Amino acid sequence: MNCDEARIQLLDLHRRRLAPDVQNDLRDHLEACADCARADVVERELTSILEQRLPQHPGSLALKRRLAAEWPAPSVGRPRWSRWRRWLVPAFAAAAVALVAAPALYYERASSRAAAERADMVTEAVNDHLRLLVSQHPLEIESSAFHQVKPWFEGRLDFAPAVAFEGNDDFPLKGGAVGYFKDRRAAVWLYARRLHPISLLVFRAEGLPWPARGLTSIGPVEALETTERGFNVILWRRGELGYALVSDVNAGDLRQLASKIAAGQG
Amino acid sequence: MVGRVAKESRRPLSAVASEALAYVDALHNLARYLTGNETDAEDLVQETYVRALHAEHQFTPGTNLKAWLFRILRNTFVSLYRRQRAAPTVGGLDTVDPDAQGVAHEAWLLGDIELDRLRKIVGEELEAALMTLSDDARTVILLDLEGLTEAEAAGVLGCAVGTVKSRLARARALLRQRLKDYAR
Repeated sequence: MNCDEARIQLLDLHRRRLAPDVQNDLRDHLEACADCARADVVERELTSILEQRLPQHPGSLALKRRLAAEWPAPSVGRPRWSRWRRWLVPAFAAAAVALVAAPALYYERASSRAAAERADMVTEAVNDHLRLLVSQHPLEIESSAFHQVKPWFEGRLDFAPAVAFEGNDDFPLKGGAVGYFKDRRAAVWLYARRLHPISLLVFRAEGLPWPARGLTSIGPVEALETTERGFNVILWRRGELGYALVSDVNAGDLRQLASKIAAGQG
Repeated sequence: MVGRVAKESRRPLSAVASEALAYVDALHNLARYLTGNETDAEDLVQETYVRALHAEHQFTPGTNLKAWLFRILRNTFVSLYRRQRAAPTVGGLDTVDPDAQGVAHEAWLLGDIELDRLRKIVGEELEAALMTLSDDARTVILLDLEGLTEAEAAGVLGCAVGTVKSRLARARALLRQRLKDYAR
């Protein structure tokens, strides 16, 4: 690999888009070539100052109000029952004829209900994230200082939002706010991955239909990883608290942040 | 323009429409950097939403909605704004710019002093330097910052994936050169 080939691939290296063999070749080149190693530092520095210092121009409140007012109002979705009725009615009829099928039918219904409840949890998490994004002032405390954000929640919630990850260069902390997850108050921690906001919702876990199947291990916790409407979502429960991590960053990055947060819960 | 949105609003809310409003800030930011002023940026964002609503059926579920909206915004900008400019940008990023090629011309940044200067760049200087670049250069840098993949950025820019890589490298090289003027 020569210097020109190396330089053109530096960004791909930073974005983790290189195949392992190419990545190894490039790292070998950077170890041997001082100029390219310096260019690597410069590219990282340029990305860093662009991400952290380039002025952002969000839409004005007036623009958002105009768009929100004129955009289609949410339609009332069909009741969930109506969606299942097509197959549930014949199933009930069959069950009446053959009682032996009843346990299987019961199990199927329970599975469907659990899946629907799980989907509700994911939908709620995505909606909470979207509410935060469209809000003109999403953060009630805007600070990257963990020891300013964490105490801010005291007195605003009826639980202590146990989060130990203070943020780092890859996932800087942006601030916090109090929101809602379904019927309960939630601590909202906002992190970022480059320009992508990442919401971490922390709330009381009791009484919610936590998924028990299809979980993956992320550090010391068992979590549900899924996607909805283009957003990646990771849900897990630890003790009395529930955690929902939502963002449009790729699944790998979100899992990386989840593992950092979960690491403090071992 | 808002009235045009209202006419479309009789349709029930789709998944696309319900999510699209979450990207107002990101769209407005790109629009602001493309048009250079607040009024045109707001008009561009509104026109983007009008066009998105018309073309909603063309969106492929499961793909990146934000990238799709960026594509509409960029195409709208090209069709409505860029050609109105009195002084269009000279030269594209695909043309050969000797000042942006190769490694030899980046020597100014290879010393610790120059790197230290870069670290002292403030936001206003960064914005000013970015605004001196061509529309395409600004766009590819901003799309990269927004986290779009090269394939998604290629969709926005209407070019090959490989072209995005070279355009981005040249755009950043140009930006570094422009920042040299501010880094004092």
